[in-house]
Amino acid sequence: MNLELTDEQLALRDTVRRFLAQKAPVASFVRPLLDDPTGTTDEVWLGLADLGTTGLLVPAEHGGAGMSMAEAGVVLEELGRALYPGPWQSTAVCSARLLTRAADAADADASEVPKLLRCIAEGSVVATVVLHDGAVEVAGDGGAEGTILSGAVASVPDAAAADVLIVPVAERDGSALFAVDAAAAGVGATPLHPADPTRKRGALTFDGAPARRLGTLPPDAEGVLADDALVASAADALGAAQAVLDMAIEYAKVRTQFGAPIGSFQAVQHLCVDMVETVELARSGVLHALWAADAAGDEERHLAAVRCKAFAGRLATVGDAAIQVFGGVGYTWEHDAHLYLRRLLGWSACGGSSDRYLEELGSRLVRSVQEARARP
Amino acid sequence: MADFSLPPETERFRAELRAWLATSLTPRILAAGRRGPTDPDAFDTIRAWNRELADAGWAAISWPPEYGGRGASVLEQLVYVEETVRARAPMPLNVIGLNNIAPALMQYGTEEQKRTLLPRMMQADDIWCQGMSEPEAGSDLASLRTRATRDGDHFVVEGHKTWTSLGHRADWCQLYVRTDPEAPKHQGISCLVVDMHLPGIEARPLPTLTGETHFAEVFFDDVRVPADALLGPLDGGWQVATTTLSHERANAARLYAELQVRLEELTADLLRADEDGASVASDPVTLHRLGELAVRADFLECLCKRSISAGLHGRDPFASASLAKTVWGELGQDIAALAYDALGPDSAGGRWADGRLSARSLTIAGGTTQINKNITAQRVLGLPRR
Repeated sequence: MNLELTDEQLALRDTVRRFLAQKAPVASFVRPLLDDPTGTTDEVWLGLADLGTTGLLVPAEHGGAGMSMAEAGVVLEELGRALYPGPWQSTAVCSARLLTRAADAADADASEVPKLLRCIAEGSVVATVVLHDGAVEVAGDGGAEGTILSGAVASVPDAAAADVLIVPVAERDGSALFAVDAAAAGVGATPLHPADPTRKRGALTFDGAPARRLGTLPPDAEGVLADDALVASAADALGAAQAVLDMAIEYAKVRTQFGAPIGSFQAVQHLCVDMVETVELARSGVLHALWAADAAGDEERHLAAVRCKAFAGRLATVGDAAIQVFGGVGYTWEHDAHLYLRRLLGWSACGGSSDRYLEELGSRLVRSVQEARARP
Repeated sequence: MADFSLPPETERFRAELRAWLATSLTPRILAAGRRGPTDPDAFDTIRAWNRELADAGWAAISWPPEYGGRGASVLEQLVYVEETVRARAPMPLNVIGLNNIAPALMQYGTEEQKRTLLPRMMQADDIWCQGMSEPEAGSDLASLRTRATRDGDHFVVEGHKTWTSLGHRADWCQLYVRTDPEAPKHQGISCLVVDMHLPGIEARPLPTLTGETHFAEVFFDDVRVPADALLGPLDGGWQVATTTLSHERANAARLYAELQVRLEELTADLLRADEDGASVASDPVTLHRLGELAVRADFLECLCKRSISAGLHGRDPFASASLAKTVWGELGQDIAALAYDALGPDSAGGRWADGRLSARSLTIAGGTTQINKNITAQRVLGLPRR
């Protein structure tokens, strides 16, 4: 058991933090992109690729670093801390992980998978995975062009930024994976305007869109991907919560009222410690879930991910409490506190409210005790 | 890279201990553990069980082999806590002695003290208590007033301790006294090893809000203690106290393991209530609250392991350890509240009603949550003092 970050992970953290502070500060990068549907610029994207981050999870034989979710978590925390609005998670985590699983289960059609993975690592392709609960279907064989997809998906992360849409579609036995060029005829993307403008989402329509079959997916690959996505978002939110907490504590040390720093008032101190408690609990759960994503069995991996999501509502209270510490200035548009609260609220609402997941975890506990009692 | 798994040899250690507990923990011992040491019958059963643990080498695994321990590693201690808690083994009568007093005896005691006192502590032949809190020294422990004045080859002790666990059953006391009233409060304290059978000592049970008598008030009236009872340097008692408190390390595992077990027991009682015609185990509000408690308990496990890992790998575990204690207290109270709300006052023979009341201690004992938060704010976050 060793839960300390390695020197390499610390170096990765510092490198990404420095890069984002220089090239993607909130004031001059994030804020101008608040209304932009893609949230990305070539300069910053290629910079992230040059640092090796887009290929972090891509296996070495496909041009990546072949690292684990623990390292992806280090990057995600920095992206959350910087309110980074671009498609890193969709490309470097969700697409890379799903394509890697498709490559592992390689069949005859898998030839484009290594190329896509290589492009992701290089930074030449932005991709997103379209999870749709059966809303997209194979509408027919498009002859020379390949397969045709049809359907509508209400909300897809980074739909406007993606060059390539990765679409799993259920088949008779298992799922097949398709690639659709976002610019192709028959693909429509409409930006959504969610409460969190630092994370981009869009509605997608496929109206006879040409798709290339990438191969078949191993059983439950979509379930595993859903867990990966939960953990990734949790790591991002953890970074955002830590950042706004750090800002609030620094402010409490310097903001003077009644002739004393407000951080010397016990009521403010306890507010800060309560925030730290929440952030450190979340950090503990995320650390475990990141480890479990690669190292644990299915049950533990899934539970660890669901716990992170179930805690999202509570994590969002860190944004609330931070604004309370900032007082009036934290209530202004100019101050970044609301952007952090929005990031946390976005995670809290994404995939359904935390309440649903909490109830699910309660039911799981009841089931497991029931099973233990049934045993002789 | 972060790794939550334990090495194979530690898992083998777990298997060995689990097998031993499965055969040794009889229903009678488990029942005694549920009733607790305040029940005289249960007290005797637990004492016999503590002896059995000692004979099998399972009483004080962290002690060095020369004192009858196993010199267990931190991870083995973690596993030991997890397994004994999950098996519902009764808490050892000398739990404070084994974990907190013995390390100080080993570090500061004379050969004579170590040779005579440690084996009897391990066997539960002697019951130990710790004289720290006083009516005027609660969270502010260093303000203690019980005085020891040197008189020839004796100290004369005068004062009043309270919240002394099993003080009325104890044979020995690790007593903190003021030996230099002129010095700053942390610097005038000494530690004495006191025979509780000396004349002038009176221990009165101190019933808690549930009516239980786990604690005592101990009065010292002109008690003549031999000078060689001094443990550690004269006026160096604060340093003795902090070494003992920092020795706990893997005991952080107790925080999550106990709460997880309590949650499982609560869930089992919810299911039993449903078998009797209620519908609490399927009630969405109850499930929601249960899920919320389970997440916090499982995250607390990860937080405690981070604290243990920090200590293991040369980093400062203070921040995570003090946060874990705060989380533990609040979570324990929330579990007690759900149990009472969902099961009512009469369930499980009133156990959950008692639990609802006794949970108040979780944010008081060992330093209140509020003082703990002050310390975290100032020491960890660097927020200014007033």
